[in-house]
Amino acid sequence: MENAVSIEGLSYRYRGQERPALDGVDLEVAEGEFVVVMGPSGAGKSTLCVSLNGLIPHFFRGRMEGEVRIRGRSTREGKVGEFAREVGLVFQDFEAQLFSTNVALEVAFGPENFRVEREEMARRVESVLGRVRLEGFEGRQPATLSGGQKQRLAIASVLAIEPRILCLDEPTTDLDPIGKLGVFEIAEELKDRDDVTLIVVEHETEETLDADRIVVLRDGKIAADGPAREILRDVKLLEGSRVQPLQVARFFHEMGFWQAQLPLTPAEGTKEFRRRDWRVNPERHRELVAEDAKRGEAYGEPLIEVERLAHRYPNGVVALEDVDLVVRQGEFLAVLGQNGSGKTTLVKHFNGLLEPTEGSVRVGGEETTAQGVRRLGQRVGYVFQNPDHQIFSDTVSEEVGFGPKIRGMEEGEVEERVFEALAAVGLEGYEGEDPFGLTKGERQRVAVASVLAVRPEVLILDEPTTGLDYAEQRSMMDLVKRLNDAGSTIIVVTHTMWVVAEYAHRAAVVRDGRVVLSGPVREIFTEENQLRDASLRPPHIVSLGNSLGFPVLSVEEMLRVTEVDGREME
Amino acid sequence: MKEIFTMWRHTQMVVLVALSAAIYAAVLIPFKGFTIIPGFTEVRPANVFPFVFGLLFGPAGAWGAAVGNLIGDFFGTLGIGSIAGFVGNFFLGFIPYKMWGAFFRRGENMETNVNSGKKIAVYVALVILASAVCAVWIAWFNDLIGFVPFAALASIITVNNAIAGLVLGPIFLLVLYPRVKRWGLLWTEIMPPDEVPASRLQFLGNLLMWVGGIGALVVGLILGLGLYDQGIAAAGFAPSAGGASGAVIGLALLPFLALIIFASFLLGGREQVEAAEEEAGPSGAR
Amino acid sequence: MDPFLYLDRDTFVHRLDPRTKMFLLVGAFVLTFLFVNPLYQLGVLALVLLFGALARSLVNLKRIWFILVMVGLMTVILWSIFASGETSLFWFVEREAVLYGIGIALRIDITIIAGMIFLSTTRNEEIATGLVKLGLPYRFAFAISTALRLVPTIAATGSTIGQAQRSRGLDLESGNIIQRIRKNTPLLIPVFVSTIRSTNVFSMALESKGFGASPDRTYFLRLAMGRRDVLVLLVFALLLGAAAALRLMGYGGLEGFSR
Repeated sequence: MENAVSIEGLSYRYRGQERPALDGVDLEVAEGEFVVVMGPSGAGKSTLCVSLNGLIPHFFRGRMEGEVRIRGRSTREGKVGEFAREVGLVFQDFEAQLFSTNVALEVAFGPENFRVEREEMARRVESVLGRVRLEGFEGRQPATLSGGQKQRLAIASVLAIEPRILCLDEPTTDLDPIGKLGVFEIAEELKDRDDVTLIVVEHETEETLDADRIVVLRDGKIAADGPAREILRDVKLLEGSRVQPLQVARFFHEMGFWQAQLPLTPAEGTKEFRRRDWRVNPERHRELVAEDAKRGEAYGEPLIEVERLAHRYPNGVVALEDVDLVVRQGEFLAVLGQNGSGKTTLVKHFNGLLEPTEGSVRVGGEETTAQGVRRLGQRVGYVFQNPDHQIFSDTVSEEVGFGPKIRGMEEGEVEERVFEALAAVGLEGYEGEDPFGLTKGERQRVAVASVLAVRPEVLILDEPTTGLDYAEQRSMMDLVKRLNDAGSTIIVVTHTMWVVAEYAHRAAVVRDGRVVLSGPVREIFTEENQLRDASLRPPHIVSLGNSLGFPVLSVEEMLRVTEVDGREME
Repeated sequence: MKEIFTMWRHTQMVVLVALSAAIYAAVLIPFKGFTIIPGFTEVRPANVFPFVFGLLFGPAGAWGAAVGNLIGDFFGTLGIGSIAGFVGNFFLGFIPYKMWGAFFRRGENMETNVNSGKKIAVYVALVILASAVCAVWIAWFNDLIGFVPFAALASIITVNNAIAGLVLGPIFLLVLYPRVKRWGLLWTEIMPPDEVPASRLQFLGNLLMWVGGIGALVVGLILGLGLYDQGIAAAGFAPSAGGASGAVIGLALLPFLALIIFASFLLGGREQVEAAEEEAGPSGAR
Repeated sequence: MDPFLYLDRDTFVHRLDPRTKMFLLVGAFVLTFLFVNPLYQLGVLALVLLFGALARSLVNLKRIWFILVMVGLMTVILWSIFASGETSLFWFVEREAVLYGIGIALRIDITIIAGMIFLSTTRNEEIATGLVKLGLPYRFAFAISTALRLVPTIAATGSTIGQAQRSRGLDLESGNIIQRIRKNTPLLIPVFVSTIRSTNVFSMALESKGFGASPDRTYFLRLAMGRRDVLVLLVFALLLGAAAALRLMGYGGLEGFSR
């Protein structure tokens, strides 16, 4: 039988780029397979996706070599429109792929273009919406859906074309853990159908366990291609490809396990841990808890004091209700919660962007309402989620110097601030660069630097790791940690759980506008049920620790407390 | 003129119309408050966009400006005057890209990045002309249907558009041109040369556009202000002259408006597309 | 805030075919252009308001009343200055000119109110589909409806950008007019960049869903002119005819006015 996808020696170079995005890729995907493509930013994953339905070579100007055949037919031979019927493509950016004013019309959009009859369209709309669990949403505006629902709708709208091959390009990047789950449940069901071939680009390993096969891309080339569980056990390969290995696998790998025996999930890990008669040294674990406590004592004065805060939007929607919170100088606080829970609304009160409807927010002992955004901005820096929402200058130094300059500082002073801020974010020597030409991770750093340049005491970062690959996420968070160590108070809004576990000191979980959990991260993460209610899920290594009765936050901590035959590892 | 129709074949151009229009409308709305003649025209920094859209996205920018203005009206002031707003704003985006090439020799760098003295001069001239043409269409129509006297509206719209274009435009193009080029979204890159008409009598087209635009503005103002004087005179010397004068401006400006359209056909635009093509080299072929 | 005027209600006006409502809108424009005399314009205004009340859409007046009042005032003032008549009121202002101004002010406000009622009762996609059915090319209608849909998204982005730059210290309120216009740079450039950046993904997603795959397409949304539509149009046509007859008989004009 003809393979669903057959790629031979595919190389592609975008116009104006020196390096090829894809470089000699060979890949065969059989009908009905579920393949996950992994790799760091810039590895060529998205380029691979758009080569499947002929967007490469037809949409982009650039140089293509080799062949891509879809069920035997070369993509060079037909228009995108012809291949779109065979290959459904769902893009990462779900905002940019919803075109209609209500859900049913969105799903019908593809079939309309392919001139499907109205009765048939109605049938497809109904069946496809059922499959992505959006029944009853027919009349809703896509803009009013949550992120997870939007992405499911995007998938539905492609499924309605009834393609034989479905390719999802990082479908869960912007979603909270439960939103991700919803998308993967759909993938799961599609996988069980033999007539649908599924190709999913993903960079989070925890989501790839169910795949038949994993392909790892690196620098435009295929670095590995094999059965999913085999690749996931190859901790070295994944680390070398800047992909986060599964934490449980890494733990057992560090413990000296053979690759072929590595357990992958917390459940498998717990079983193996017990089977081997390993134990957690309680003394060592107490040390960890004591270190937490000691760190807590070193905090300074309360900087931000929130008392009985409520916020209602002009349209009457209650965004926050009865919130109490104190942030002390030197803390590293993570604010967690699902999309739309009110976490961003909460932190926007800290620098005066929003004013309390009821209750009070004090910064440095003074009401925020009395200080105003401009003055507060000097104390409380706010890095917005999307760096493109603030970058406007021609050069990096101009961008970073904007804050100091507009606050009336001398030229020499501005220069010094720019230099200092760029050094802090590791962008020395980037002064003359064009900020728009940088990678997302670098742009994020420019945004942080431009906030640091006014030397705020508190730094708020809204989803600082979204859209970054594992290596970029790590280096971003290491940077934030350095700032914290140097004395800055840090508040991070996020739903990336391992970031919280490894970096934050304290966490506040927001759900439906209320802070439902607040305390040291180690304690919060033992409350798995409450977290689940807030659509959150602790990282694998935390779950492993929890099931053993000793909450740990990272693989390193787990290694530190594990004892084999009464001996400590290390 | 055919490029304003052939552009619809390109998905990217269709999307650029939609996005330009949405940006324009979205930034127009918050300024609906600051009104000079409320409901007709407002002080709006957003007015820099039609020029920028036009120079970057060509015909898609012109359509985007027109649709964006119409949608701006959707959020409050949709009325019969919206028709003129549509046409006027179309020309606001249309004239800059259409006439740009007429000021450069073959082989000369004619990228619309406004990074040289000559380019700035051309930009300034085109912004003023486009503002005038836009104003003439809107004021003429509103005068014709008896909504607002020509003189009151034309001068305000011209100045209003030109200010935003002159103050913000050069900065915007300098910053945005390289980005848009990198993303491959310049109209000269998306559209092939054969879909854009070659210039016939480019110099004449250039000249006629100036005569049409500035001429209509000046003649309209003279007529309008003349009637204004009569109005004052009439306070003392009743009854005043001719009741049919309402149609005077409407008729007197017709030849000028015809000139503007005629000139649009003479000006081509293909030279810019070809220049972009040459610069990209042979690998630029699809 | 939702910038759209559309009100999700179930009235007989909402249920009319969008094309019917477009005809009614144009009809209202014609009606108000028939008359100059403010008294007759008040009649037209009453009719339009009655229709708006039937559509339960007059709450939107709250959102545009300021514009309506300002437009009205400015128009009266402008025409009082620019036009002339026979009966002097004070200085160089004549009674007829003022009346004419009031008539025109009402006319402009009526067209805006009619537009408001149309938008309050017709969904974006109905407008787009209606326009296509009336002969507008699909791609053009698509661009309009996409732009319409994106406005709130971009406005929200704009407000986020405003917050980001304000917290960096941007102060829009100070300076002369040129400086204040220039201060919009840190707002408008990111709005442009973050929106236009998605053009390629947007276009690819469209083509991936078969946009332009064949020269024509089918439509899921079905429009049907029902008996109700015909009836409404018939009644309105009669009304329009009567109004035209009235005008031809010489009523509703303004004696002694000149420009």
